[in-house]
Amino acid sequence: MILPLIKGLILTLTRFLNPKTCVTMQYPDERPKLSARFRGLPELQIGKDGREKCVACGLCARVCPSQCISVEGAEDETHRRYPKTYELDAFRCIFCGYCEEACPVRAIILRDTFELATYQNKNVFDKEQLLDLTRKRNLPG
Amino acid sequence: MNIIHLVIDDKPIVAPEGTNIFQAARDNDIYVPGLCYHPKLSQFGGCRLCFVEVTERKRTVHRFACAHPVSEGMVVKVNTPKVVRYRKSAMEYLLAHHELSCPTCDKSGECGLQNVTYELNLGPGRFKTVRMHHPVIRDNPVLELNRNRCILCGRCVSACKEIEGVSAIDFQNRGFKTVIGTAFDRPLECSFCGGCVAVCPTGAWQDRTLGFKGRPWEFESTTTICPYCSVGCTIVVNTKTESVRRIVSNDCLGINEGNLCIKGRFGHEFIHSPERIKTPLIRKNGELCPASWKDAIEHTTKRFRQIIAEHGGKLAGGIGSERCTNEDNYLFQKFCRSVLGTNHVDNMSNIKSPYLNSLIYKSVVNGIASASLKEIENANTLFFLGADMTEAHPVAGSMARKSIRMNNANLIIANVRNVLFNSMARNDIRLNYALGSQAMLINAFIKIIIDENLVDLKKAEAATNNFPEWRSSVDKFSVREASQSTGISEETMRNVSMILTKPGNCCIVCGKDIEEDPLGEITIKALMNLCSLINAAHDEKTGPRKVSVLFSRTHNNSQGANDMGVVPGFFPGYLDITDTTGREKVEKLWGVKPGNDIFQKESLNLIDLALNGKLKALYVMGENPIVNYPNGKDVREAFKKIDFIVVQDTFLTETAQLADVVLPAVTYSEREGTFTNMGMTVQRLNKAIPPVGDARPDWQIVCDLATKMGQPYSYASAKEILSEIGSIAPPYAGVNYDRLKRKEFQWVSFVYDKNRPAKYTFEIIQPATFNIIRKKDFPFILLTGASLNHQGAFSRHSKSLTLVAPACFAEINRKDAREMHIQDGDMVTVESVRDKIKLKAKVTDKTPEGTVFIPEDYEWVPVNLLRDRAYTPVKIYREAE
Ligand code: SF4
Ligand code: SF4
Ligand code: SF4
Ligand code: SF4
Ligand code: SF4
Ligand code: FES
Repeated sequence: MILPLIKGLILTLTRFLNPKTCVTMQYPDERPKLSARFRGLPELQIGKDGREKCVACGLCARVCPSQCISVEGAEDETHRRYPKTYELDAFRCIFCGYCEEACPVRAIILRDTFELATYQNKNVFDKEQLLDLTRKRNLPG
Repeated sequence: MNIIHLVIDDKPIVAPEGTNIFQAARDNDIYVPGLCYHPKLSQFGGCRLCFVEVTERKRTVHRFACAHPVSEGMVVKVNTPKVVRYRKSAMEYLLAHHELSCPTCDKSGECGLQNVTYELNLGPGRFKTVRMHHPVIRDNPVLELNRNRCILCGRCVSACKEIEGVSAIDFQNRGFKTVIGTAFDRPLECSFCGGCVAVCPTGAWQDRTLGFKGRPWEFESTTTICPYCSVGCTIVVNTKTESVRRIVSNDCLGINEGNLCIKGRFGHEFIHSPERIKTPLIRKNGELCPASWKDAIEHTTKRFRQIIAEHGGKLAGGIGSERCTNEDNYLFQKFCRSVLGTNHVDNMSNIKSPYLNSLIYKSVVNGIASASLKEIENANTLFFLGADMTEAHPVAGSMARKSIRMNNANLIIANVRNVLFNSMARNDIRLNYALGSQAMLINAFIKIIIDENLVDLKKAEAATNNFPEWRSSVDKFSVREASQSTGISEETMRNVSMILTKPGNCCIVCGKDIEEDPLGEITIKALMNLCSLINAAHDEKTGPRKVSVLFSRTHNNSQGANDMGVVPGFFPGYLDITDTTGREKVEKLWGVKPGNDIFQKESLNLIDLALNGKLKALYVMGENPIVNYPNGKDVREAFKKIDFIVVQDTFLTETAQLADVVLPAVTYSEREGTFTNMGMTVQRLNKAIPPVGDARPDWQIVCDLATKMGQPYSYASAKEILSEIGSIAPPYAGVNYDRLKRKEFQWVSFVYDKNRPAKYTFEIIQPATFNIIRKKDFPFILLTGASLNHQGAFSRHSKSLTLVAPACFAEINRKDAREMHIQDGDMVTVESVRDKIKLKAKVTDKTPEGTVFIPEDYEWVPVNLLRDRAYTPVKIYREAE
């Protein structure tokens, strides 16, 4: 009974006495290093032609357990299927990654965006905002 | 028909002889995969998925379920390992060259191929995939054909040929290159019924009005009734986030068995048209300005009160709607009669042919009227008299083709024009009678039947009244003369009389060309005489009643508007206004006593009254008389003389533009209620979406007006109104709103008692040809009629329909055109004494010489403004450039 307690205390003490681990991360000055498979906010990907990759198949909206995605498909002049509106309610997203898994064209990927605090009482990302997340990444430098 | 006992997957079932295993299994809820078989179509046997194990006469073999008939004692196994293995490899072949673009394919989620792939749990195939790279064909506004997704099941080819009778598409090429397409890959020219989209198991055929705007699993489906013609097809409205995305059909619902026409399937875009009126409008300083409902109702009631106080209610009038529901129309006439205190209520169909209601009711009582449109399907002889089925009642035409296919029915089409009707009838007789000789034609049939004793005349005499007198009047009639004036040989007439009196069911469709003709009344009377003669002489022992008539109606609820008493002559349910018992019943139920003096037969119609200054206020619900009134420009004059006009409609029509107050009403997808089709079948609508903008259901607007004017109408729903209708109108006595959800109601069978049929009284008529005055400077006669692609404001605001049929046209006979040097497609002017319009010439052989045909359903081309009371003489000339 006492043994686990002592074990726990040893861990605490080694951390506490080690100068490297005795303080928490200095966020936001210091950024955490996220693992590659971290699941942050889903982002819409951009294809080679500079447009959204998404073909508005609606599978992500269907699979999403918290039903936070809504897609409205439409046909453009070249008869391509594209999402006229794509909305993701970041308040409701539980970052499960099902949408990424369901997407047949890999147009939505959960990456490392996790700073989602807002002063509003809703936080719905529309298509452009979701694409902007990717655009920002593609900026040189 | 023999009943066969068999066992499918250990389940003992029965099926009629001649059924195939596939259908027998389906009827008993046993699933057999299969992509090419369709119960509506002839079997083809191309997909090879319905492979099953069959043990028959002690031999176990493998068969295709859709191609093998059931036999006594047969044992069928649907899912043995061998069968499944075979099925899997058949699927591998189908998928080897399939596009598999499910993410962008609108069929995904309801795709037969996808479903079977999923069921069989197929992985990547063993074959090297070959992609086809056929370009997608989008040469028309409503259909799209992507041959890369086609599995060559042949369903669309059969549907086009068997149901629509068009045969626009077929298999092209041979072997690996086989594709579905039109001959020589020409642009698709068909009726655009969308039957191919409905039967295609894959996403090869697509509805372009959907255009990626939703997924099948996202849609909510609401079953309702088509708002266009009087066939009354059942449609399924697919909605997502409170907007209508597409219309589909359901093979198991309604009288149409999943067949629709272009208007029903693709004409839904008007619901969300930006041109819809979304708020009430009040005229201020000559302009219609948006207003709130409160102001609009207040303003309207104030003006109504003023006019009633000044001139009395008799100077108010109301035009009901052939497009609104029975409930709307019932409340409308109740409002006019009890609140406004006028009997000047009418609807366009009654204005066009005022005699029709009493004649139809009489033929119902005498058992001449068909009990339902389904009688077309059961007929052994079809007789279309003055009815252009292809243009006016397209799906009824499909029903006719079914009876031709299944019963080998004879087909007789009598029309002034050589109307198009595609069929495979073995006995296909076309009678193109001369304009105005239709009554002669019918009487000639009667005369031949009597002269040649084609029916048992003694029996007919015993079963009817007035037979001897009538017979002697017919005796004077000469078939030779009739043959001369109709232009149809005696031989043909004899032939037709013979077919009409043959055993079996005969269904006559009496078309608009007859009903709205100056000779309409006597022609219909002659037709009723003919039917009664044949029916009365018929021996009940040899089979059921033989001849029945379907009276064609123009709009979805023309019949209902008349049933609801939106006519000056009748209260709801054809209670005569001059009959005191009927009036007492109405007064008791409504709790008001409209003055006795208002219920008098009036010889003038509403527009004529207005023209004579006898109308000060007019309430128009869902109607556009400025365009639809058949007697020319008078109607504009008439409207100018009315002090106060209220129009309640979905669009700012020509009539609404003249109104003082415009009230926005909902469309069919936003309302509850019932429609009555031309076969007197009452069918229920269901609300698919909430009202668009500030629009309100018509009955609610009427309630608001009545309440404001001091007579609180406290109806909470369409159901309550319908039950009041049931208690007042005898034909609707058995109707129940909740039951309508499951089964439609046919009121004919409630009025006509088969066991105690009313004795028919022959009516003596003097058939004569109409003397057509051809003026020298107006050498042509104007004919008008229905159009497949358009009908009023709804189709006018549906983008796809206006793209398919962008312009109205004038059909001119080839010979006439040659004389006038008019080419197909030239712009011509058609001018009558009253007005002139400019449109495209269409040179055909359909229209007889000396006539010009213009469809009247293109609302923006007001052909009725040309018209005169009778046949209108016009001249045609090519506009100088
Ligand atoms: S991560 Fe999960 S909850 Fe968030 S949008 Fe994707 S599916 Fe929905
Ligand atoms: S699953 Fe992918 S392609 Fe389909 S709608 Fe979602 S993001 Fe677009
Ligand atoms: S037809 Fe069916 S299987 Fe083929 S792409 Fe469309 S949804 Fe997928
Ligand atoms: S287009 Fe559709 S219905 Fe026609 S053959 Fe191909 S898969 Fe069958
Ligand atoms: S036939 Fe008439 S009721 Fe049927 S879909 Fe066409 S317009 Fe509608
Ligand atoms: S359904 Fe029998 S072969 Fe296609």
